[in-house]
Amino acid sequence: MNARIKTENHDRQETKYTTCYMCACRCGIKVTLEDNKVRFIQGNRNHPTNQGVLCAKGSAGIMKQYSTAKLTQPLMRKPGTERGEGVYEAISWDQALDILTNRLEEIRATDPAKLAYFTGRDQMQALTGLWAQQFGTPNWAAHGGFCSVNMAAAGLYTIGFSFWEFGAPDWDYAKYFIMWGVAEDHSSNPIKIGLEKLKRRGGKFVSVNPVRTGYSAIADEWLPIKPGMDGLLAMSMVHVLLKHELFDYEFLVKYTNASWLVVQTPGEKGDGLFLRDEKNHPLIWDIEKEMFKNGEDGDIAPALFGEYVAPDGRRVKTVFSMMAERYLDAQYAPENVALQVGLPAESIERIALEMAHVAFKEAVELPIAWTDVWGRKHDKVVGRPVAFYAMRGIAAHSNGFHGCRAVHFIQMMLGALDGPGNFRARAPYPKPIPPHQLPENNLDIINAPNTPLSRPPLGFPTRPEDLVIDEFGNPVRIDKAYSWEVPIASHGMMHMVITNACNHDPYAIDTLMLFMANMAWNSTMNTKNVQDMLRMKDPEEPGEYKIPFLVVIDAFHSEMTNFADLILPDTTYLERYDTISLLDRPISEPDAAADAIRHPLVTLDRDVRPWQEVMVELASRLKFPAFTKPDGTRKFTGYKDFIVNFERSPGIGFLAGYRGVDGTKSLKGEPNPNQWEAYIANQSFFAHHWPDNQKYVRYANKDYLEVAADAGFVGKVEPIIMQFYSEPLQKFRLAGMGLYDGPQPNNQVDRERLVKYFDPLPMWYQPLEQQRTDANEYPFFALTQRPMFMYHSWDSQNVWLRQIMAQNYLYMNAGKARSMGIEDFDWVWVESHNGKIRCQVKTMEGTQEDTVWTWNAIGKQKGAWGLKENASEATKGFLLNHLISELLPEKNGERRVTNSDPVTGQAAWFDLRVKIYKAAPGETGSWPQFDVLKPFPGDERYERPNVLRYDARTHEKN
Amino acid sequence: MHPAFSVIFFTVASGAGFGLFSLLFIADTFKLGGGFSADQLVAGGLMSVALIIFGLLSSTFHLANPKNAWRAFSRFRTSWLSREGVFAVAFMPLALIYLASIMFDAPLWLRESTGLLAAVLAWITVFSTGMIYACLKTIRQWNTPLVPANYLALGYSSGSLLLLLGAVIAGLDTTPYIAMSALIVSIAAVLKAIYYFWIRDPGLSPTINTATGLTRAKVKLLDTGHTHGTFLTQEFGYQLARSQASLLKILVFVIGFGLPGLMLVWVFTAQGGQALALVAAVAGLLGAAMERWLFFAEARHVVNLYHGAQRC
Amino acid sequence: MRLGLVIDLDVCVGCHACAIACKQWNASGTIGPLSDYEPYGAEPSGVWFNRIRHYEMDEYPHNKTVNFPMSCNHCEDADCVTVCPTGASYKRAEDGIVLVDQDKCMGCNYCSWACPYGARELDRSSGTMKKCTLCVDRIYDETLAIEDRQPSCVLTCPAHARWFGDFDDPDSQVSRITRERGGFGLMPELGYNPTNQYLPPRRKPVIEVNTQPKGGLKESIKQFANKLVRR
Repeated sequence: MNARIKTENHDRQETKYTTCYMCACRCGIKVTLEDNKVRFIQGNRNHPTNQGVLCAKGSAGIMKQYSTAKLTQPLMRKPGTERGEGVYEAISWDQALDILTNRLEEIRATDPAKLAYFTGRDQMQALTGLWAQQFGTPNWAAHGGFCSVNMAAAGLYTIGFSFWEFGAPDWDYAKYFIMWGVAEDHSSNPIKIGLEKLKRRGGKFVSVNPVRTGYSAIADEWLPIKPGMDGLLAMSMVHVLLKHELFDYEFLVKYTNASWLVVQTPGEKGDGLFLRDEKNHPLIWDIEKEMFKNGEDGDIAPALFGEYVAPDGRRVKTVFSMMAERYLDAQYAPENVALQVGLPAESIERIALEMAHVAFKEAVELPIAWTDVWGRKHDKVVGRPVAFYAMRGIAAHSNGFHGCRAVHFIQMMLGALDGPGNFRARAPYPKPIPPHQLPENNLDIINAPNTPLSRPPLGFPTRPEDLVIDEFGNPVRIDKAYSWEVPIASHGMMHMVITNACNHDPYAIDTLMLFMANMAWNSTMNTKNVQDMLRMKDPEEPGEYKIPFLVVIDAFHSEMTNFADLILPDTTYLERYDTISLLDRPISEPDAAADAIRHPLVTLDRDVRPWQEVMVELASRLKFPAFTKPDGTRKFTGYKDFIVNFERSPGIGFLAGYRGVDGTKSLKGEPNPNQWEAYIANQSFFAHHWPDNQKYVRYANKDYLEVAADAGFVGKVEPIIMQFYSEPLQKFRLAGMGLYDGPQPNNQVDRERLVKYFDPLPMWYQPLEQQRTDANEYPFFALTQRPMFMYHSWDSQNVWLRQIMAQNYLYMNAGKARSMGIEDFDWVWVESHNGKIRCQVKTMEGTQEDTVWTWNAIGKQKGAWGLKENASEATKGFLLNHLISELLPEKNGERRVTNSDPVTGQAAWFDLRVKIYKAAPGETGSWPQFDVLKPFPGDERYERPNVLRYDARTHEKN
Repeated sequence: MHPAFSVIFFTVASGAGFGLFSLLFIADTFKLGGGFSADQLVAGGLMSVALIIFGLLSSTFHLANPKNAWRAFSRFRTSWLSREGVFAVAFMPLALIYLASIMFDAPLWLRESTGLLAAVLAWITVFSTGMIYACLKTIRQWNTPLVPANYLALGYSSGSLLLLLGAVIAGLDTTPYIAMSALIVSIAAVLKAIYYFWIRDPGLSPTINTATGLTRAKVKLLDTGHTHGTFLTQEFGYQLARSQASLLKILVFVIGFGLPGLMLVWVFTAQGGQALALVAAVAGLLGAAMERWLFFAEARHVVNLYHGAQRC
Repeated sequence: MRLGLVIDLDVCVGCHACAIACKQWNASGTIGPLSDYEPYGAEPSGVWFNRIRHYEMDEYPHNKTVNFPMSCNHCEDADCVTVCPTGASYKRAEDGIVLVDQDKCMGCNYCSWACPYGARELDRSSGTMKKCTLCVDRIYDETLAIEDRQPSCVLTCPAHARWFGDFDDPDSQVSRITRERGGFGLMPELGYNPTNQYLPPRRKPVIEVNTQPKGGLKESIKQFANKLVRR
């Protein structure tokens, strides 16, 4: 009956499985190839992440593969031309590697910290971090610091796992879901899959977001909050829960430090620290035995409330008493925060009560027997089916760390963590709070030539002694992470690197290597000035730039490559071997630990090399101990060999699956020489499905923790007790007060910041930039987000995606715009304390009245990304980045301070405030405009036709 | 709707051609004003055929794949576009036989029967052209019997003015021609006025609410999902300012109907006046072209509802 | 059979995944390639079978954003087929899929005029009209696994906002879900009887809460009492 329908001829097709790299979601993909050409990319139905579905970016990967922005060969800035002119000469890989090796050899042999190596949205931080550690430089980080470290740090210092990639909502059981400040993010496909599941089951979805697009569009209730007020909203909800006595008493006692006792000796050393016994265990007051007992033990009946006197006479108080005192205060009452957060008091109270209703009246019970870490057996798992997810909307503020922690407070009070229907952990999380990993801060090791660091450059400080500072208290890292200015900068501060390096503050560096990070454009604050900084010459070293040597590793002709002295061209994700490791950013799901690989599907047609391969090569040439045999010869033939045979500790390597000589061991086992083949045979991923008794309450689940300890996820089997009260913060605060037995800051600015912002319980304060700008002059909050079809994608556009969006607008609330006489498509000037831009307006209902926003990274520099000069991305698209400064506005008598969260160093992108006024008639087109990027040698291979007719078929074409 | 020049030229030229031919046949049959000579008839007939062929050729310019144009005759049973083609093509041989009969002085029955048939086919063809537009439920301004009526009236009115010009040149008694023109131009003007009046009221036409099915509240477009134009915006997105439309309507009446009317009076009183008749004919065609441009430009396809129009 | 799609407006997040998957499959499918104009230039555009539009209902702060995917509705009374002079446009008797025979189309655009839904787009390079085929070259490809014999937009939709099936079968998933959720066709007043059905946004779940509990509200720490709870 269907005689007339010709189906496809599959004779010359083959199907291969790999992992998507269009964003940080890392879905499994099934790629159909026809004669080495990509015919079709679809989701892998068996993959734990995306279960067969695939987003727009994933499908558009086909056009990424055929992008005309692809670099084709190593390039060297032409001698005699200036940096930023964009004039390059092709060189061979041998030349490129020799140049780089020689330079790095010398740095490593003299002052390893003179190399700074920062990476963008990459998914191989385990390898880049290891490389930096082996090189011996503390100056390494990925883009977490300007992405969402507040979210990660708040979680890891509070609950042992976090939003971002370390947990996910339990979509199968959740009945109430609140999404805080989330555009399309990591886990984009899982969230879409999940939202539909939730809604199909009749669950309620609430979105807290100043903008109603994307996920928020389908929310049952939209709370158009003012940016930066999330913490206040969460604390007000905590107020409501306390007032109604709606909290999970049992959960608080069992799994949190709510009952731990805090010393109350204001103005004295030791104030605000936990009361501890001689073995340093935190103590509680046991109401049954009427005595102080170890708060980590199982056999206790702690008082949740109360003040007691310690044997040494000091007054102590339970954490929960302190909490109740703080948050019961009328300043947190819904009616008193309503105006500030921009939401009706009624909504705030009602949402809090709705959550509590669902948590306590609609609890889920699963008949799953499990054993807790104290050895007691349980015959069921109780779930309080309220789940949260939160992201950059809360995180990217200078008060975001506390805001994120406050959100976790609600979860803890409801007992809604890692149970059925909750936000649940993804392996290797949960981890001890904070994870037992400290950043390298031994100056002797850092300064030693040709010596690896003894531990990674990044970690989780718990006290001032853990800071990475010199004997004078000055920063040791180029980004000033882990200095008094930003003590818990756990993901580094990539957004400060160029500024600090150009200011030689804290010191001058020699070489900056940037991988896959567009720091000269949309991934930096203050774009225009940063471009100038990259061109800045050093007056003390005639002929030298402030940053003497700049190496850029990228696959595409970005705005950043244009500033490189040396460009090392990378491959696309379909052309290389790669690992998505549990040692890195996990792709696990709550029900399964998982990792994945990529392998080349398409034959390379240009002289480019995968960066992982080049890193192993450089590591071997530079004779890093981990990459060199005792006899001085290279240990690994290449990246594949490295992945198979490198063990971080015995039995634990980059890939957790198909280990052991015969490939039968999971999570831990000897290297398997055929591991790559095993992964390829298993559709390029590995999943260890947790048995039912290891799926829930994993912070205190004995069977799970035993496996986790064996697999190296945690150090040992011990309870992970959630931290309402954060003692590490109090230690830093005491240092700021001059009451700490150990390092203390000597700069007044640092002291003030520590005292003010290192509150061991969440607090709300006005974002730092806003403390220094006039809200009357700059009445609008200004934000960005990425559209769903471009989120986190490497080059953010290709010939298909750009048809959907080739220009961004400044979106305003329609009523507000009307009141200002601004109409759709008007050109306006947008001005902040840092500068001004011109862009075009679109009005909409779904934007909070005091907020304007735009899609980020649509604007491009002319000539970049394989586009023609007149591309509307370049002529009409714009960046908000120009308006955002990486430094806070100057204050008299104070050194310039980073525009970041004072606790974590998270870039405060969303603290921006602006004013808006209509452009004069005739003032059209986006402003500022920049020089046109010149084509690179090798670019002539790309045609860029006026009509593109992509067709992968080899026969029967129309 | 995007006013495509090729389609405007085609409908105006072929309408005038068919109109001229039909009226020429009537003038021949009834020997109006003394009757044209054989040569004059043939010249006039060929002129009408030329207008038609020219129009038809021009219409193929708007085809994206003209090599398949021949297939357009295959859906006669359902498609008005196909019917128009078939009738137009059927008209041709009959019209040529009719003209040949005149030229070679064939028997009257042949001349009269082929002429009559061709004139009827001409009428049907213009009617079909109108129906191409009138049958579209997607365009409120077109989906009315007034459209084929207008097409016929305008085709015959421009044809009549051309015929009058011929009569003046041929030195015939122009009175019947003036009367005929006056009648047809008046009918066309009245019909067009009714049409313009009628399309002002949208009535119960589709709205953005019925288009999206979101009927409980005001609906506004947020984003079309593409930054730049698409086939749909190019083809259907044309929007004419209301003030511009009003001005053009006045011009249609002044140039298309008023001016020829004035010329008719003048020709009648001045007895003769080739220049006046020429002005009348050219004004008639110009008016028709403007009317046709407006016909497209004012038409709002319902797909615009999906692009943000509140009502079409 | 009457094959078509159900599109769930309650869960569509407007991510454009279906649009790109469609573009991807069909670019090399039976009526591909699908031209892209000015792909690197000032105003990129191209031929797509599936476009996602975004609307806002009501006014701030009561507004709701609705994402709205649209492709061919494979109408029961498809005027696009009736008006086609060449017979290139046709509706398959066996399953109701409306197709354009690329070998017959002369590119007159007339069918696109007759379509109220903007489903048809002219490919200027081939000079022919193109449109959603419901992936007719996938759904009947017996070499594919049975679960893969679905339109690529349905396969890919991350929010499961798209369903494919036979509306003639009252027990099919698409028929059932349309009945249960009050599915509707677009612009019914034109009488095209579109096969595709849209599911309206669900009503907001209602959760009863008590703002004035019996036990009264806690005002200070002193009102809390310890309970005997053993860890």
